Amino acid sequence: MRTYETIFIIRPQIAGDEYTALLGKYKQILADENAEILRCQEWGTKRLPYIVKKQDQGTFVLINFNAGNTVVKEFERRMRIDDAIMQFQTVLLENGLDLNAPESAAQTAEDDLDEDDSEQDEEQD
Amino acid sequence: MGFDNKGVARRRFGRRKGCRFCADSEIKIDYKDVRTLKYFVSERGKIVPRRISGNCAIHQRKITEAIKRARNIALISFTSKRTIE
Repeated sequence: MRTYETIFIIRPQIAGDEYTALLGKYKQILADENAEILRCQEWGTKRLPYIVKKQDQGTFVLINFNAGNTVVKEFERRMRIDDAIMQFQTVLLENGLDLNAPESAAQTAEDDLDEDDSEQDEEQD
Repeated sequence: MGFDNKGVARRRFGRRKGCRFCADSEIKIDYKDVRTLKYFVSERGKIVPRRISGNCAIHQRKITEAIKRARNIALISFTSKRTIE
């Protein structure tokens, strides 16, 4: 068993019940393959940095699961067939998933700015 | 002392000495963490070279991999600094 992380982008037109059904369908596919779902994050609809399948928006979903390698193959095959899925990417997490790890956020970005300022001063001297 | 005007241009990459990931082991490199990655991408969307970012070889490699993964799944742009946020 290995830990995988899949992000897939769903067409923005799909929302509400349709969206919930789609998500349920893919969770069911994983369940049928005896994969253990560790985490499922819905990021919501976002504007994409580049056009994907003629769309400039997309709904992001992140799923972490424990499974064997054949499961990924089947899961990706099903996503490839589905028109509702614009793009997907599966990544192997070699160190497993740490659910307690804090989400990196604004904190780091603010630190960067502070450090930049101080270094700039040094150079000017 | 004649460098006053250049200070602004320099600030873009912030000439940092040493690798920030080695200095602080708390910072993890993750392809989903667009805010951190953005710092290592130029306006044109290119990956900032090691001589400018100041990363060590190990961390530059990880950053490169993370940026490429993020590009692939439409988290950051291939050609500009645009991200999903």
